Amino acid sequence: MSQPTATDDQTGTETGLLAGYTLRRITLYVVLLVMAVFYLVPIETGLMTSFTDPDSYTGQAPFLPPLEPLIPGSGTFSAQPWTNAFDILGQGLVNSLILVVPATVLSGLLGSMAAYGLTNVDWRGQVGIYMLFVAGIFIPYQAVLVPLTQFWYNVVPLRTTFVPVAEVLPFIHAYHWKLVALIVTHVAYGLPICTLLFRAHYKKLSDEMLEAARLDGASISRIYRRIVLPLSIPMFAVVFIYQFTQIWNDLLFALTIVQFGDAAVVTQDLVGLGVSQSGTNFPLRMAGALVAALPTLVVYVFFGDKFARGVAA
Amino acid sequence: MAELNLDGVTKVFGEGSGNEVLAVEDVNIDIDDGEFLVLVGPSGCGKSTTLRMVAGLESISSGEIRLDGRRINEQPPAARDIAMVFQSYALYPHMTVRQNMSFGLEESTDLDDDTIESTVTDAAAKLDITELLDRKPGELSGGQQQRVALGRAIVRDPAVFLMDEPLSNLDAKLRAGMRTELQRLQEDLDVTTVYVTHDQTEAMTMGDRIAVLNDGQLMQVGSPLDLYHRPANQFVAGFIGDPSMNFFSVTHEDGRLVGEGFAYPLSSETERDVGDVEDCVLGVRPEDVTLVGSETDAHDFQVDVDVVEPMGNENNVYLSFPDADPDVSGDGPGTFVATVGGMRQVERESTVVARIPEDAIHVFDAESGAALHNRVLDESVETQPTVN
Repeated sequence: MSQPTATDDQTGTETGLLAGYTLRRITLYVVLLVMAVFYLVPIETGLMTSFTDPDSYTGQAPFLPPLEPLIPGSGTFSAQPWTNAFDILGQGLVNSLILVVPATVLSGLLGSMAAYGLTNVDWRGQVGIYMLFVAGIFIPYQAVLVPLTQFWYNVVPLRTTFVPVAEVLPFIHAYHWKLVALIVTHVAYGLPICTLLFRAHYKKLSDEMLEAARLDGASISRIYRRIVLPLSIPMFAVVFIYQFTQIWNDLLFALTIVQFGDAAVVTQDLVGLGVSQSGTNFPLRMAGALVAALPTLVVYVFFGDKFARGVAA
Repeated sequence: MAELNLDGVTKVFGEGSGNEVLAVEDVNIDIDDGEFLVLVGPSGCGKSTTLRMVAGLESISSGEIRLDGRRINEQPPAARDIAMVFQSYALYPHMTVRQNMSFGLEESTDLDDDTIESTVTDAAAKLDITELLDRKPGELSGGQQQRVALGRAIVRDPAVFLMDEPLSNLDAKLRAGMRTELQRLQEDLDVTTVYVTHDQTEAMTMGDRIAVLNDGQLMQVGSPLDLYHRPANQFVAGFIGDPSMNFFSVTHEDGRLVGEGFAYPLSSETERDVGDVEDCVLGVRPEDVTLVGSETDAHDFQVDVDVVEPMGNENNVYLSFPDADPDVSGDGPGTFVATVGGMRQVERESTVVARIPEDAIHVFDAESGAALHNRVLDESVETQPTVN
């Protein structure tokens, strides 16, 4: 399309402007469409593959829906990979849930309390403590792996104390001690960043409002419960989504602390899913990956609007 | 209902850090039961700090604060039986007006829910905010939020109200209305009130007594008219009154005050007050300067009119002595303001005769700022200056 030349004719100029406008629009939409396809194709491919019967899976054009014999070479439709994935990952999913829910809630709550104590309550030496929190963010994961194993296996007698507990309480198994260790580790590691996020939020709370609450007779803990906590709900959404995703997707700490056995979480189970001597079962692997990703997706759907408000706050 | 005493109250920020800032120095004020005391001063003068020390939000470096004779220095804010209204209103945004108002009662008393409810409803009725009780602060206008903040203080039924510039976030019209309403409310409740403001109009109109602070020091405590007519020093004289008092730097020689472009003869009484101080400041309020037809008195001066500001009811006329240094513009040493009636025609850039009557002048020591001579008052308006 050539640029319209300027004419004295009023209508000519108008159509010219309109033409330039639509050209920009078309370009914009084409670019957006290409980007959308580019980003969605891998997921679409994974989804299509996961519904393909492993025996008919050829690996050619995996993004096509499995509509054999309608489309030759695209594979036969089958829900088998999904049911298999659920069967194999079931235990891992349960373990991951046992891990991620308390770890997320605890790191959020403790982070919020720590941030309140470090930001809105005045006491000597809080800057030093705060510096320790900040330093915590920068400790590399790799540096703590060996000490972490030593700590949980040799220093803390968590395993031995857990055996009698598991015998008494229902639904508790002896191997759950590994998950408890993992929960504590994740809370400790997530605490600094949670504290930092909450602190940024609490700094914006009006000092006068908190002073008014003090004059109203509320103690430090009552001010937290009745004023600060209700006002940090948007921030909790941010922290919960962030921590949930972090902990759910973690493999490194799980490998270090759980290592193997009944307490293995879903990311660990996913590593070996569908891999055997005879080759890789791609439909099963894809179904497994999607199954493992499902909870994070659900969390985003449920907390997404609050997340957006928290980020904007 | 209580008497509040501030006894040598001092606040030093950053104590022991080597970076100390003296915010409030040796302030002594005795506030009677039911009195409305206004703490006024320019920003940074320590008035808010003083109030916060009374509230218990700042520690007291030295001195003593007594409420009904009992020392409260060490008591936490909640135990002091005070309520405070903040400049930003400081309402709890996630609570309704009702919850905002009942919060203090729930936290500080053992009252049952019904009593709290009826107390809140009564206070809301008093402030005419009954229909707002179930709304949240974000849905209210500034004036309504102000009322809720007041309501939150009232329900507590405290011994002392502390107010930190509560009206400064309101627009001018609303502020004037709230001013009268606050006064009426305070009179109704008869609660000792300490009110902080930087606005001298608020101070003059609202206070039973005014305490003027500057640079952390108490300049003067007294009734509004006391401060207006018998300022203890140049700062108070300049701070109270709008437009503010005219000052001329003068030297005292041979029974006259000689300034930039004029000489002002003194009577023997004034002369006696001024004594042998040489560097003085002559002060006169704009409304005491009159424009007369011709020079008939030794206190009449030929002056140029620089600017006329018509206010409707009156005109502010900016005058200057013709012999004053012409380079000095604006509020230079030779210029001053006179307030004349609004019906009076004064042409700018004309020459008029200004009379500065001797019974209206104030003379201050230029060095210390202390008042050497205050204006002569009709004896029927007897006011006793109470310095400190």
